[in-house]
Amino acid sequence: MKIRSFSISLSALLLWMVGCKEPIIDEGVLPFVVPTSVDADGGNWRTIILKSASDIAVPQPVAITSDAYKKELADVKNGVLAATPEQNTAVNYWAAGGVLRWNQIARQLVAKYNVAPGYDYATGQTTTADAGNPYAGPPFAARVYALLSVAQYDALVVAWRAKYQYNRPSLEQQGVVARVPILDVPSYPSEDAAVAEVSCQMLAYFFPNEVAFLKAKATEHKQSRLWVGANVPSDLKAGEDLATTLMTKVIDRAKSDRFSAANDPGNTWQTALAKSSYDQKWKSIELPERVPILPLAGKVKTWYDSTAIFQTSPAAPPATTSSEFQKALSEVRDIANTRTRDQWRIASYWDNGPGTYSLAGLWNFLVEDLIRQDGQNELRTARTYALLNRAMQDGVTASWRTMYTYFVPRPSQLDPTIKTATPIPNAPGYVADRATVSTAAATVLGYLFPDEATRLTAQAAEASLSGLYGGTQFRFDADGGAKLGTTIGQLAVAGAKTDGAK
Amino acid sequence: MVFDPVEKLPLPIQSSYMRFNLTVLLSLALLIVAPEAYAQGLIDGFMRGQRKASLAIVGSQETYDTYYINTTETKNPNLGTVTTQALTVVGTYGLGYDLDLIVAAPYVRTQASAGYFPKQEGFQDVSGTLRWEAYDYKFGKTKLSWQFAVGYSMPIQNYVNDALVAIGRGSQNLDGRTILHFKAPNFFITGQYGYIRRGQVKLDHIVNIYDPSQLNPNSGLKVNVPDVTELIVRAGIVTKVFTIDAWFQRQTPHSSGTDIGPGVPFPTNAVGFTRVGATAYLRLLKQFGLTAGYNTTLDGRNIGKSTQLNAGLVIGHWTANN
Repeated sequence: MKIRSFSISLSALLLWMVGCKEPIIDEGVLPFVVPTSVDADGGNWRTIILKSASDIAVPQPVAITSDAYKKELADVKNGVLAATPEQNTAVNYWAAGGVLRWNQIARQLVAKYNVAPGYDYATGQTTTADAGNPYAGPPFAARVYALLSVAQYDALVVAWRAKYQYNRPSLEQQGVVARVPILDVPSYPSEDAAVAEVSCQMLAYFFPNEVAFLKAKATEHKQSRLWVGANVPSDLKAGEDLATTLMTKVIDRAKSDRFSAANDPGNTWQTALAKSSYDQKWKSIELPERVPILPLAGKVKTWYDSTAIFQTSPAAPPATTSSEFQKALSEVRDIANTRTRDQWRIASYWDNGPGTYSLAGLWNFLVEDLIRQDGQNELRTARTYALLNRAMQDGVTASWRTMYTYFVPRPSQLDPTIKTATPIPNAPGYVADRATVSTAAATVLGYLFPDEATRLTAQAAEASLSGLYGGTQFRFDADGGAKLGTTIGQLAVAGAKTDGAK
Repeated sequence: MVFDPVEKLPLPIQSSYMRFNLTVLLSLALLIVAPEAYAQGLIDGFMRGQRKASLAIVGSQETYDTYYINTTETKNPNLGTVTTQALTVVGTYGLGYDLDLIVAAPYVRTQASAGYFPKQEGFQDVSGTLRWEAYDYKFGKTKLSWQFAVGYSMPIQNYVNDALVAIGRGSQNLDGRTILHFKAPNFFITGQYGYIRRGQVKLDHIVNIYDPSQLNPNSGLKVNVPDVTELIVRAGIVTKVFTIDAWFQRQTPHSSGTDIGPGVPFPTNAVGFTRVGATAYLRLLKQFGLTAGYNTTLDGRNIGKSTQLNAGLVIGHWTANN
């Protein structure tokens, strides 16, 4: 009897194990952040693409004493009481911060499209990318984050200016009890509607196949502000309208930044390769060989002073025949032969290769925590991202320019016995873009979050050396990249010091 | 009542009567560690018997040049042929007449012939399994038994788990299975069905891939390794001197998982396979025998289409025909 019940319970245990479902990825739950400041002077902050916030005129709202407004307010009040569970889920999702959420969405889309045209075993062909399905490699990714953040920031400066110009009182001050913390700023125009609309249009520009998904997200974002009791429909409408006006200018900037020629349709990179002065020239070491992707991304228009950036572009590294170079090569070889588990971890952590949201995306992710700790409001969050992402895009641009000037080989091209912890990027190695991007990022963030500066600098140093640990880069790649990144970061900090935000 | 001297002796003396015992080897072919297959198939239907033990040391070599992305076969010129060698030690001990303990630990080396993937080498996962014979029915010289087994395995060291060329996936696993074993004087057939629950693993990097189901983009290093179900059928001939058997094994991913792709962490892949193989054992001395095996992959999912050869020594008395 005892045996029977034991075996029955064992069978039950087995069935129970079979029955359980578990997610692939564990998700964290974001806490609500109560912003520490409203930044009432935000309307005077220096805009990036607009000359100033006054470039876009936001129409005067109807008075709160008007019947039209009273009806809107009553509807919202009733809506808050009648919110469905689905609506509350949306409210909680977007309450984590519109700028943060759209940044996360952008990262997801970059990861989705960050699949390089590659070798297909079934057909023996190298697949190509089409226009609706862009390859979101590092230069593309950095540009997505930069333009998205810039658009969000300019939209929010315009919104802030109008908020304090018209001073329509927040709904909380009119007796609406919201379900989540709401920033106590004038409610007209809605900052969320502005962020939703610019983000949706900006990302739709980059990812035309995702328009339906993006529109659904934007609609939910805007509506969530009614459901939570933060805005009335006329607040949303004004936010949407200012965003639409702004976006024509942002898209113009995007169209004229020379990125569309970066994939080098005329294959001019081969001429540049032949002309380059370095004694051993890079070649693709993949089987079959692949052409480099976006070789002209170094010619993309920079956000910061391009003269200042390119003046500090590093000179060519030591020739392969020099003893200095041989020392650098044997350093990579030694590390590859005796690579520790921790060196492997560092290489893997900072790799962010194809299929991921890329290195710029990792820094966007890492800064989320800092923004929350700091309790930054939407406007200030957008500023943080706009500063960070412009510097990182310039970092990618400057690295690409150096890579496709010198065409310095990867270590494994010169010594095939060097095995790597991470895949070898199909691009020349000097300078290391992860060193440039990470150093620029840490410099900007160190200014914005001075308490974290030491830790950020250490992270950037680790990121710079990660390619050396992984076996894909020389130490001089990292050093050259870090130097370039410091210059760009300092330009960004100089801009941040004078943009009007304290 | 017959006086049994062994029964009355104090324990230390009694254990000197302990006899080595084998049979593990019948299933060794399976356990010899395809990196993704871990030490499954460790369990056979033959109970050891109380206070009997055996020890097997088996070397294996497994190769593939074709692998499955989801279920589509592919080759990668940047990978070439992947060769995995393993040395596995398996010990078995009968804790009681109806309860066995089986412990195994492999040392694995794996490398690719082309491209720039580094060789990986080291101890993989140690596993321990308790097997309990709940029922046995005897009909003359034949016997039918129903058994349960619960096993646990964990990585011996923090090896690289997120690479195409890796010695394992690094998860802690809980294995529950039930076994039906039929034995005639010179023939046996065993069927078993099990569920392997694989725990989370820590990646070297933050999860940074696209996942359409993500509401909150993940903030951590941990991912789940999909669980699998396993079916094994094995049949063969047993005599006093040799055993020869053929087997079929199918692992099917139970929970949802990813497919091999750029940036996709390898541990989250849904891995499955169908393999067939054969094992032979030859007894040379009373306490000493040789084993050899072969197996090949018929179809798979996110795994190499591998073929394996193995051979080993078995110390202990072979009691499969007791």
